[in-house]
Amino acid sequence: MISWSSILAATLGVLLVCVALAGVVAAIRIRRHSREARRSRLMAPFRPHLVAVSAGEDPGGDSRRVLADVAGPARRALAESVSGMLGKVRGLPAEQLVEVLASHGALGRAVEDLGHRSPVRRAQAAQLLGLSRDPAAVDPLVGALGDHAAEVRASAAYALGLIGDPRAAGPLLHAVGAPGGGLPAGLAADALLSMGVGISDSLVHGLVDPDPRTRTVTAHLCGAGSFTRALPLLRDLVALDPDLTVRETCATALGRIGRAEDAEVLTRHTQVEHPQPLRRVCAAALGELGDPSAVPTLAALTHDPDPRLAELAASTLVRLGPQGRAALAAGGALRPVRSAMTMARLQGVLP
Amino acid sequence: MSLAEAVEPLRDAVVWLFEVSAVPVLGYFVLINTSYLVLIGLAALDFRSYLRGRKTVVDTLGGELTPGVSVIVPAHNEEAGIVTSVKALLSLRYPGHEVVVVDDGSTDSTFERLRDAFDLVELPREVSQDVPVRARVLGLHVPRDGRTRLIVVQKENSGRSEASNVGVNAATEPLVAMIDADSILEPDALLRVAKPFADDPTRVVATGGAIRPVNGCRVVAGRIVSVGLPQRWMPRIQVVEYLRAFLLGRTGWSRFKGLILISGAFGLYRRDTYVEAGGLDPDSIGEDFELVLRMHRILRDADVDYRVEFVPEPVSWTEVPSTFRVLRNQRRRWHRGLWETLWQYRGMLFRPRYGRIGMVALPYYWAFELMAPLLELYGIVIVPVALLLDVINIPFALLFLAFAYGYALLVTLAAMALEEWAFHRHERWRDLGIALVAAVLENVGYRQLTVWWRLEGWWASLRGKKQVWGVMTRTGFNEGGSEQGAPPGHPRVSERGASAGDVTVPERAKGGAA
Repeated sequence: MISWSSILAATLGVLLVCVALAGVVAAIRIRRHSREARRSRLMAPFRPHLVAVSAGEDPGGDSRRVLADVAGPARRALAESVSGMLGKVRGLPAEQLVEVLASHGALGRAVEDLGHRSPVRRAQAAQLLGLSRDPAAVDPLVGALGDHAAEVRASAAYALGLIGDPRAAGPLLHAVGAPGGGLPAGLAADALLSMGVGISDSLVHGLVDPDPRTRTVTAHLCGAGSFTRALPLLRDLVALDPDLTVRETCATALGRIGRAEDAEVLTRHTQVEHPQPLRRVCAAALGELGDPSAVPTLAALTHDPDPRLAELAASTLVRLGPQGRAALAAGGALRPVRSAMTMARLQGVLP
Repeated sequence: MSLAEAVEPLRDAVVWLFEVSAVPVLGYFVLINTSYLVLIGLAALDFRSYLRGRKTVVDTLGGELTPGVSVIVPAHNEEAGIVTSVKALLSLRYPGHEVVVVDDGSTDSTFERLRDAFDLVELPREVSQDVPVRARVLGLHVPRDGRTRLIVVQKENSGRSEASNVGVNAATEPLVAMIDADSILEPDALLRVAKPFADDPTRVVATGGAIRPVNGCRVVAGRIVSVGLPQRWMPRIQVVEYLRAFLLGRTGWSRFKGLILISGAFGLYRRDTYVEAGGLDPDSIGEDFELVLRMHRILRDADVDYRVEFVPEPVSWTEVPSTFRVLRNQRRRWHRGLWETLWQYRGMLFRPRYGRIGMVALPYYWAFELMAPLLELYGIVIVPVALLLDVINIPFALLFLAFAYGYALLVTLAAMALEEWAFHRHERWRDLGIALVAAVLENVGYRQLTVWWRLEGWWASLRGKKQVWGVMTRTGFNEGGSEQGAPPGHPRVSERGASAGDVTVPERAKGGAA
């Protein structure tokens, strides 16, 4: 049996915690409001200047001078506002905002802050280094790709993309599939695309990486950035990669940057023995590739029992021009063909 | 024989029962609420990352690898709000999405409204049977302009699950989003819920977004313009309940890598995985729960490295019941769906092959979601009986109840504190005060009623009683700023949402998109 004293003590304890939690809820709100009010008060004299610089309306540099001279507690509030603004503006205003931060010594401290115990400070430091576009920041940022905090890794990747130095491409790709917390693949892809043609070597290595995420990002970049050096590997991966997403991404890339001989590769993978999603992707990729040698295969596919694949094949034939459209004439009574033709007319592709 | 003599054997029995069960029942309450606290703790870790991400402002939404999404909208007799809903969905922030409306044999002018609004023309497209569907597709229409990415499929009425499956069959994008025709998505909800797919394109197979009650919010043209709390206490309590059970609970499970439910009101799936799993089971009561469990089983059986995630930030707003009748129907179905699905997948229990799903999540659902109302009912009955028979004294009984419900209140308050820290959606002090009171009132009457209704649903299933779909009563959302919803002709919002038992089942009109 439960004793009086124990249940009384437990109940009182629970009720006390409840009261405390209700207080915590209110305290969180009060703290947030007071911080916002304080920050707003501190920033009030400088907000018009910040807006002017952010909007690119400070040709004489008066507002920048005002912002550079900010001192005391307002400087911290200004730094936070500028950092927030930097996520929204590009070009000259962004550079001028970075100048403001540099005048406060923030850039000088950024490398040091990469080792700060606060993940937020480390992430903000990484972004600041990226905004400085200083090639000397590449090495410390590459180091930050291995940070245990996901947001620091993400900020480092973002910063490396801003700097655009292709030396970082290899580590970035490796970080995507790093064990125990990789880098978001989409973020890595965005950063790598801004590094230009210098990433070509890294992409070739990325396609043979053991991690399928890295191979997917790499295959996508090969197509998006027209890295034709990777074509032989892309062809192999369409056929052999154990991961379906990688195969599909490679097929799409082949459609974007492939040569005439790639029509045969894509055609082969539209055949019935391959997974249905891959067959559909390959049929669409043939349309992107635009090689007329695929016409007979596509014409045959319009009779496929998979109506989506059949319509994709018919749409691809429409896109292939007179030769493809002539091939469609034979199957004009088929529903997938009629559907593709109707869509093409609605979209203005056909008269 | 006097009355005292007559009740003596009963008294002995109650004494025995009380002695045997008091500690285990109290222990169960402590355990269940502690498990909620653990989930809230896990959610706190997730929210901390979210807050850090917000402070570091790396906006990666809509980047290079963002996959296309087909938004599937099953609709049955939604003439009042369908055009507004579709327009809002078409204008969501997303680099490549289409909207697929499946008119599930509407008997009103749902289709005609769409046809007139979007100038639809028939397309002789054959809808694939990637997911086998019994009902016949009657036609497929697209806008005449050839640019607006809308597909409207008409089919014979066969229920919501089949309508969703037809939508997936007609979808052309690699991801499919399941939403209700009358839910309201925030403008960047699709971007956020799709982000895990862009972050991890080879492993993520499904994500779910948060669902919050729309009751009391102000809605203009299918968008939430101000968040508020409803006037009535019942939906107010559900606001708190949704916060604890869905937002915090599911975030916790996701963090633990044991998420087994994505609400049908807002979920995103890889189309190929959805098709491979066979789509929503039209014969299931808890079809969304059943689908995710089936996916887990298939993928684990095939030794696939995959992830199912919950994203707490994108919000789908949905109306919750504001009458006892509708709430009762909802909770009965939720618990029935929970029971039937858990029973169907009992073979996954304690099987190391199914990892955390089989070893932790499913046993948890059996012990703490399914059984909870049974144990709670026992507590509700035994304490008054014991009081009546003078087995325990009143102060002790009150103390006993105060502890059990006090701990439940503590869990809710912890969830509220976390919400206030991370999202603070309800900005008004008045709303905060009301929510605090609702957290207390939840334990007085509401909780006991839902216990009974859940057991009713379970019992109906055990007796093999056929599920009858009740008629949904919707009050509609607040378009003009008044509290109690829209006048006739205004958009309505469903109460489908997500379940406190963590299982969702449809709450649809009979014969409708059930």
